[in-house]
Amino acid sequence: MNPQVLIDGLMAGALYGLGAIGVTLTYSILRFANFAHSELLTFGAYAALALSSALGALSAGLLEPIAPFSFGWALPLAGLVAVALTGLLALAVDAILFGRLRHRRSSIIVMVMASFGAALTLRSLIEFAFTSKPAYFTRELQIALPLGQGMRATPDQLLSLALAAILVIGVHLLLTRTAIGRSMRAVSENQALAGVVGVDVRRVIRVVWLLGAALACIAGIMSGLLVQLRPYMGFDLLLPLFAAAILGGIGSVPGAMLAGLIVGLAEAATVQLVGAEWRTAVAFVILVLVLLLRPQGLLGRAQA
Amino acid sequence: MSAAPAPPPALATRDLVAGYERDLPIVRGIDFSVRQGEFVVILGPNGAGKSTLVKAIAGLVPIHSGSTHLAGEDITLSPVQEKVRHGLAFVPQTENIFATLSIRENLQLAADILPRGRQAAQIDEVYSLFPDLASRRGARAGNLSGGQRQMLAVARALVVKPSVLILDEPSAGLSPKIVGEVFARLKALNGAGITIVLVEQNVKAALAVADRAVILVEGKLRHEGPAATLSSDPIVGELYLGARARQGENGR
Amino acid sequence: MSVELVAYGCFFLTMALTYAIMCLGLNLQWGQTGLFNVGIAGFVAVGAYVSALLTTPDVADRLGGFGLPMPLGWLGGSLSAALIAYLVGRLTIRLRADYLAIATFGIAAAVQLLALNLEPVTGGPFGIGFIPRPFAGRAGDPLLFSVLNLALVAAVVLLLYMALERLVRSPWGRVLRAIREDEPAALALGKNANRFRLQAFAIGGGIMGLAGAVQAHFIGFIAPENYLPMLTFQVWAMLIVGGSGNNRGAILGAVLVWGIWALSAAFISATFEPGQQARAASLQIALIGVAICAVLLLRPQGVLGEARVVSRHLLEAVGSRKIRVATDAQPVRQPPE
Ligand SMILES: Nc1ncnc2c1ncn2[C@@H]1O[C@H](COP(=O)(O)OP(=O)(O)OP(=O)(O)O)[C@@H](O)[C@H]1O
Ligand SMILES: [Mg+2]
Repeated sequence: MNPQVLIDGLMAGALYGLGAIGVTLTYSILRFANFAHSELLTFGAYAALALSSALGALSAGLLEPIAPFSFGWALPLAGLVAVALTGLLALAVDAILFGRLRHRRSSIIVMVMASFGAALTLRSLIEFAFTSKPAYFTRELQIALPLGQGMRATPDQLLSLALAAILVIGVHLLLTRTAIGRSMRAVSENQALAGVVGVDVRRVIRVVWLLGAALACIAGIMSGLLVQLRPYMGFDLLLPLFAAAILGGIGSVPGAMLAGLIVGLAEAATVQLVGAEWRTAVAFVILVLVLLLRPQGLLGRAQA
Repeated sequence: MSAAPAPPPALATRDLVAGYERDLPIVRGIDFSVRQGEFVVILGPNGAGKSTLVKAIAGLVPIHSGSTHLAGEDITLSPVQEKVRHGLAFVPQTENIFATLSIRENLQLAADILPRGRQAAQIDEVYSLFPDLASRRGARAGNLSGGQRQMLAVARALVVKPSVLILDEPSAGLSPKIVGEVFARLKALNGAGITIVLVEQNVKAALAVADRAVILVEGKLRHEGPAATLSSDPIVGELYLGARARQGENGR
Repeated sequence: MSVELVAYGCFFLTMALTYAIMCLGLNLQWGQTGLFNVGIAGFVAVGAYVSALLTTPDVADRLGGFGLPMPLGWLGGSLSAALIAYLVGRLTIRLRADYLAIATFGIAAAVQLLALNLEPVTGGPFGIGFIPRPFAGRAGDPLLFSVLNLALVAAVVLLLYMALERLVRSPWGRVLRAIREDEPAALALGKNANRFRLQAFAIGGGIMGLAGAVQAHFIGFIAPENYLPMLTFQVWAMLIVGGSGNNRGAILGAVLVWGIWALSAAFISATFEPGQQARAASLQIALIGVAICAVLLLRPQGVLGEARVVSRHLLEAVGSRKIRVATDAQPVRQPPE
């Protein structure tokens, strides 16, 4: 097998991992599969695009590529604001929709259906605003650097990989070492008891939305940078994200990242061995296998 | 009851009606009050609404009408996570620890509501009360034995130095020896000044440690009296056997 | 002129009624049983492709066709879809409620992929043509032809409607309702809830497959792009507009939404220049999404039946403390350890 599979798989896998961490966190705290999570990704990417072009219009210098990378300062700056905007969007959707349903003690499946409705709405509005034409953060072409063993990666790819690693470690530390992380794990195990112990469950839910949205936004920007932006970019990631979240074990951050990498590598290998047209089947096959063999996932929630 | 105005009851409910669904009250009008430093046990047959009563006080079951008071302060409307900040600690009947967290994390979680400077000291104080837990602080709570879990649940409640501690059947599923140990701990805590409300099925053991007992039947208080006299009162057996309590024997 | 209009009206109604069949299948799954299927397009596609494969004349560059009579194609199509629904349900129904949703979402994507890539069987992106049409002998008389087709599809819908109504009122249907409204109570009554759920899901899937087959034979040509997620969204909109849990509503909703859809599509193509049409169409989908959320927020009882009246009686009848309705106060259990 061509060793380049490793790089391609890691790239896709890092992206899946980031998205899947968001899915797994919101899932373990809010207790439903959020079909709208993918739209946070899409929204984040487009928000960053709009903001960075606005910044570029203000000062063309901001679009000037930074040393080895293909983008200028406009993108990271826009990214920061986009993260905040995506978080606000998640909080708004929760206030308008999920929060009310939760308050009514709606069943899981009503929440899932609501997330489905929210996803349809968001995705279509994004398509309306930005059209379905693919868009790009930058037109710069990058030369892939040789990494030895016949592997190559562009500076953008390496940067994304490093950023993903930092974020995963950061989230893991947040969950295991801080008071808010402890509260999150407590709520995910037993919401009522968490309240009894003094945890403000509503605050924890807000933090989880913000965290999930931030990770989704960053994954969306990465995907836009490394591939392209399309209104369906998130929708197409939904199956790999769910597969990774379930494979990793709902609630487990290391599990989600590991499973994201597994899905990414399996896809890259499939593209090599079977053919690119079967790539999207990989996530489904993995999903079926996990549900069949180990529905609690690789690392389960206990590992959190 | 003594009408002395001076100290308000440590815990009181006024005509409390509560239940899981709007039009289905389980607790049906309860006036209940516990003096500062008292040890009260709530008895009653299965399904009488004992858990529902204490969960309503703790803020886990919707209150339909009436009120709850802690040291004279109305806490009916304060959300569940606020009650512990008022000094009311609650140990639920089941799933009363976080099995996926370590012992240390269970205690630290409870301590998180305290000012940062006091957290470590109060956790250490609890460890000194429960040396068994102290020696295994890194262990996952889910791996503890039944008795140790109850100890951890009590320890977790004590971290915040509550003025009132409510426990829902802490003896369930424990061997008589361990039950004796748990109850001895509770008695000692009560001796140290903590007001204790204990829901129990284990009538004998509970009456042996409590000052006073109340009996709950079908969501209403049916009888109350000093623990010492109640243990020989035939009314207890009668209520437990489900015989209709005659109206005349209500209250006292 | 008026002949054309009538013929068009028949065509429109026939199409709408094929959606009504899908909607009836979804109603059995969601409206009656509370099973969330986000892969409708996949089950419809399976029905369409299997029936097409079974009934088309033999061709050189593709497996089959087997030239079987049309009724056999319909039967094969709906049985295959039912089988797939059964397998998906078998895999997920015992797990969390939302795993079924995720799995159906995956099935639709997988079916779409197979249709596209399995060229020797499905014809790949070009699809399958020359699917025998009912009353093909009368195709010379457009009016008669379209009336006959409408009559046939209407008869299918009517039969299905009557069968489903009977099913809903049967003891089986009552158990389904009990399960939907309060699973713990139904379980305590000694019913194996998952078996009933699985049956309902498979039958619903089979009905969707039948819809796919009927539609394929009516149009005479199928391709993967007929079965995009869009189809799933549309059928959901139909059920929601019609009112879930109600078979007559499901049929009515299908006709209504298909009508609105066709009209607004015509409006869009007349008003917007070609470059902007896709854009305007995306607003249509946004509306479906808003409608779903609005119904959940504003008319929750319309989505999942008559609230808890039944469960209360069950609770009292059984009088057991084993029955506990999940509330905030009781932690919802996570997937099996
Ligand atoms: N989560 C719940 N939702 C709805 N009804 C409930 C719930 N929990 C308990 N009930 C009902 O409330 C009534 C009282 O239950 P409760 O748990 O308060 O009794 P209890 O006195 O604590 O019994 P035990 O001694 O067995 O613990 C019972 O009829 C029970 O079925
Ligand atoms: Mg109880």
